[in-house]
This record gives sequence, C-alpha cells and structure tokens, in this order.
Amino acid sequence: MRRGLISWSRDEVPASVLEGRVASLQRQMRDSGLGVVLIYTSFARPSAVAWLTHFVPYWNEALLVVFPTGAPVLLAAFSKRVHDWIRSVSHLGEVRSAPDLGRAAAAFLKERPPAPSRIGVLELDALPWLVAEPIMKSEYGGAVVDATALFASIRQPADEVEIRLARRAATIAVQAFKAIPTGAKRASELLSVLERSARLDGAEEVLPRLAPDLDADATLRRLEGDAILGERYAVELSVAYKATWIRITRCVSTQAVPSSWRGAADRFVEAAERLNEANLSLEPQVTGSVRPGKTAAWTIETCRGSPPLSIVATGETPSPSALPGGSLACLSLQLDLDDGPWLGGAPLILGSRGQPSRLLI
Amino acid sequence: MSEIPGNARTERRARLARAMADEGIDVLVVAGNPWRSDYLRFAADFTPVEGQAFAFIERERPARIIVEHPAEAARLRSEQAELAVSWSLSPIEETEAAIRELGARRIALGPLAAVPYRLAMGPLGASIAPATALLDRLMLRKSPSEIEAFRRAAALADEGYAVFREAARAGRPEYALVAEVEAFFRSRGCPENFQILGSGGREVRGMHPPMERRLAPGDLVTTELTPCVEGYYAQICRTLVLGEASEAQGRAFAVYNEALEAGIAAVRPGARARDVARAQNEVFRRHGLGDYVTSEYTRVRGHGLGLYVDGRPAVLEDVDLSLEPDMTLIVHPNTYHPEVGYFVHGDSVRVIPGGCEVLTRTPRRLFSVPLA
Repeated sequence: MRRGLISWSRDEVPASVLEGRVASLQRQMRDSGLGVVLIYTSFARPSAVAWLTHFVPYWNEALLVVFPTGAPVLLAAFSKRVHDWIRSVSHLGEVRSAPDLGRAAAAFLKERPPAPSRIGVLELDALPWLVAEPIMKSEYGGAVVDATALFASIRQPADEVEIRLARRAATIAVQAFKAIPTGAKRASELLSVLERSARLDGAEEVLPRLAPDLDADATLRRLEGDAILGERYAVELSVAYKATWIRITRCVSTQAVPSSWRGAADRFVEAAERLNEANLSLEPQVTGSVRPGKTAAWTIETCRGSPPLSIVATGETPSPSALPGGSLACLSLQLDLDDGPWLGGAPLILGSRGQPSRLLI
Repeated sequence: MSEIPGNARTERRARLARAMADEGIDVLVVAGNPWRSDYLRFAADFTPVEGQAFAFIERERPARIIVEHPAEAARLRSEQAELAVSWSLSPIEETEAAIRELGARRIALGPLAAVPYRLAMGPLGASIAPATALLDRLMLRKSPSEIEAFRRAAALADEGYAVFREAARAGRPEYALVAEVEAFFRSRGCPENFQILGSGGREVRGMHPPMERRLAPGDLVTTELTPCVEGYYAQICRTLVLGEASEAQGRAFAVYNEALEAGIAAVRPGARARDVARAQNEVFRRHGLGDYVTSEYTRVRGHGLGLYVDGRPAVLEDVDLSLEPDMTLIVHPNTYHPEVGYFVHGDSVRVIPGGCEVLTRTPRRLFSVPLA
C-alpha cells in the first residue's frame, strides 16, 4: 500500500496543467465519438487517474468518470470520511461515495446518460470483474469500447511539469544511493537506509529490488527477510514523487570500483543517448560497440496508461511499440562483463527523430 | 527473496490440493496484482510487485505462472526454481490462451476480487464464485505455520509502534514518522506495511496517508500500522498525545479502552462478527456516543487479518460470519470523538477455544510524549 507523502503542491502541479490534460482527453473523446470515459484506479494501477487529477489511492479503489466537457467525477469506494482528504490532494469536480464501484458507475450513467452513447473504458480487458460486471450487464454494456489506445495517444510526450517531478524523484533516488553506508554487510541494513532517505525526502513510494551478491546471481529481488551482501551488489530503486515514477539501478562495490564498471557506465550513457523515437532498440549500438562486455538484458519503460511503468521495448521482444520524442522513459540495462554482471538504469527524455535522448540525471 | 519456510508453502499447497480434489477441480487459475496479491500468495507463494499475474495450480504439479514484466519473471524463477514462469506484454491474453490449451479438464478461475473482465467473460465465468469461496474458506482459518507468521507480525507491530512513539515529536512532519517506521521495518526484513495516521485535534475526522502537516503540542496522533511477515499482516492501533493529556482526552481514552476490552471479550468460537461489533458499540451508546459508531464517523469495528490487510470478516453489527478457532482479526473501536477528534485503539487477536489470544502487547494507554 502507498504510505509515503501524498500531497498536492499547486506550485509543482498547477491546476491549469491538470485541466489541460483533461481537456486533451476530452478533445480525443469528441473526435472519437465517446460520450464518457471510465478510468479505474487502485494503488497498483494509479497512474492514469493521477495524471489527470493528481489523485493517488493509498488503498482501495475508485473510478474516474470523464465526460466530453466539465470536470471529472470520482466514484470512490472509500469511506465518506476520506472525501475531504481526497479533495485536498486532487483536482476533481465531484467526489461520490461508491462502496460498490460497478453498481455506482451503472447508476451514475443512468443519471447522466452519455451523449454520444459510446462509453470508453481504459484497459477494458484488465478492469476488475467486480467493477465491470454491473456496467456490462446494465443497459449501457453494449456501448462499452476499449479506450486504451485513445488514452495512450495523449499520454506522452511528457510535459514540463511531469519532467520536473521525474527529476525530483530521480534526485530522491540518487540521494538515497548516496546514503548507503560503505560498510553495509546485510541487505536489511542497506534497505533500511534507502527507505529512510527516500521517504524523508518526500517520496510517495519507494520499491527497492536488490541483487545482494553479483558474484552469485544478478537477479533483482524483492527481499523478505535478510541476505548477506557480497563484495558487489546491485540495487534498483523505483521511486514515485507526486505520482510520477522513475527507476534507477546502480551497482555497488565494497572495494575499489572496478574499471570495467566505468566502461559499462559509459556504454550505458552512450546507448541511452542514441535512443530516439525512430530507434527504440539497443542491439545494434550495443553489439557494435568497441567497449567490452555483451548485453544480457535491457528494457525501455514508460507510463501510458494506469500502470506506473509499462514495457515499450526489451531485448526479448522483436517489435517495440511506438513512443514519441519527448516521452519520459526509463532504460534498464544488464551487461555481462568479463569480471561479472553489471546493472544500470536511469530515466530519460526520449529524443525526437534524429535527436539524442537526454538522461534526467 | 522469500524466507518462507518450505513447510508453510508445502502445507498450503497440500490444503489447496485437497480442497481442489474435493471440489473436482483439476486446474485452478488464480489472478492477482499488487493490490490483491493475497490469493496468489496463498496458492503459489508469490507476491507480485508490478503488473498482473496469473497462477495455474494443478493438484500434482508445480504451478505455472504468467506475469507482465521480465523482472518479475526473473525474480520469481530465482525464488522458486520449480515453477514454470513466463512473462508477456499481454498477460491476460496469454492466460486466456493457456486456459484454452488445457482443453476439457475441469478448470476454475478466481478470486472475484482480482479476475479481470476479459477472463471473466470467457468460459470460466461461472466458476469464479465457487472458486473464490473455496479459497476464502481455506484462508480464513490459519494453519500453525500461518499463525506463527501472524504472531511474528504482531510482535513486529509492537516494536514498530515503539519506533513511532519515539519519532512523534512536535515540529516533525507526518511523513517523517512513517519514514522512521519503514526504516525500522526494513531493518527487520519486513518489506510491506499498511500505515495511515492522523494528527491534530477535534477537526481530525479520520486517518490518511502521511502529509506535510507538522505535529504540534497538544495534538492527538493516531496511527494504525500493519507490518507484513512472510505475507501475513498484523495490526496495532494506538493514540498518543504530544504533551500532557487533557482531561477530555483522558476521558475519551477510557471509553475506547472499555470498548476495546468489551470487543476482545466477545471474541470466541461461535460468536458472530456482529457480536464483537455490538459489544464495542454498546459501550459508546452507554456513554452517550452512539451517534459516533455509525458509518458517518467510522468504517468497521475491526476486520480479519492474514494475507490481506483488510480481510473477512468485517466486524460490523450486520455481519453474521461465525468466528472459529485460528481465525485472526483486529478489534478496533476506532471512531470520531466529539470532544477530542478521531481516536484509535486496537489489538490483533487469534481466536482460540473459549476466547481469544491477544497477540499485540503494547500497553493499552493513552501515551504521552514529552514536549521537550
């Protein structure tokens, strides 16, 4: 569950920016003949609603209802007592209590019939059945269409506000990395320091994954319990700040930093900068590089729906999906060097055609 | 990296396999995500961090898992080498195809809380309710190893509350308190915690995630914190005051403490959830505070705990579910008090023959934190 700082700074995220995003969705709705769009949110899938309204559920569920004009309405499965809090952290027209989200949505559609009648649902296939069933079995079920592509078409590139939030999230992660004690022996000690630093810096959430001993295994794990840290280990921090997520991965050596890692870091930067909207694959430049090591795995992720980060391209998928220049994305790369694995990751702003990408940190 | 003892995993799998056999189910497809990971954790000992996940549970074979992210697939393979793990950009479609490939076998799909629309619309739609009921039955009463994990989580909740009390100082922002608690939990190998809090006076109507508000002298500071050990959540609710408690705050505490004790005294096998709720609410009514046990001011008077932070039963006066030995729950008469604001007080308990065992041990006091 979310348990970091959730607050809305009007300076960091002006209401006018949120209204502009909603207006952009409403323009697309009108062009596509949609009378309403429904967007589900939970802490596992918060990003679409947060991008439009700044609302992030710390637990529980809600459904955002966007008509072609006017402010969005939130049907919230939260207790009414939480509505004041919801209003204080988000920009919404109306908040309605909806313990049974699906029934509430069907009733709301009856109260305010969409015109035109087509109803878009973001990520319809993934909508929880408990929410979907009453809608699909209502008189409006036949009018429901998937609105995933429509939403994705407006979600990226990132605006300046989102880029600033991402930069702040990245700074929080970098500060947390700096707080790692040089003599850390156990994963629990390390993760405790990372959590404390990130949350005291205002992180809304921090999800650490750890490869505690790179000599044994480079898999990044969610740790329950503890583990002994090896001489070389890797940490991935996924950090949210005001609903904007970034992912940063760093290798740590308890000895002198291996020279091979410097080369790997250079190679990461080189590979990241060569990405752009027309080239979302690492393979040619990485395999063509004169630097040592070979690529073991890579991913490019972005936010274009309700998940905080979704895969755009990986070394395992032959056809990356399209992403426009200016998109906020995260590159993660694992290299097999002569002296062992190396992992790196950082957020970037994707270059336009022919333009280099810019790393955020 | 999971430190779940192999016997707990094996024990859950064996119970599930027996139940599937009893119900004539060959393959149980269990859906989950980071919000509803409880059923997946029970069936496949897997807690997803990101994306959708689906487990195909067969009675005699290791599970097959489909996840949405390559990093999730890699970590799951490293945690449980015996599983057949794959990832897909379209895990729901992949799962749909995998269900088709199972052919004429007897397949069920659940749970209701996590099944996505596309799968529910398929041929297994009618199986969702019975499959969910099967899993709910198994998850309600805890096995000895589950109780042990719950017991450890309760002990950690006590320790976490001590850290919270130490961190609660005038001038600190709410989110700093949670940062200290999280750092402590991580230092003890605990990756997950549900925690909300409130601070202030009569204007405070509930709890919420931490905000930027700075604690001030005289504040009531409420929290419910809920660490997770081996997947099992235990919860504690306490209220503290910054400085000396006022007379009104002391009087309020006495009511909540009486209600908590009454609620706990009502927990026993055969009692219904409504009995536990009524026992607490009657105390408020006797003190002329009956208006404040309605949904206008409070949500529940406790709830089940286990692999989900807010499980069955909801402790409410209209919930009939009977308590049975080895069910685990929190009893908490949390609600608004018109003189002092929102107030919380609750303990985690295990139902045992003849009554209940209280597993959180933090003293039931209105803690006072010195201002200096």
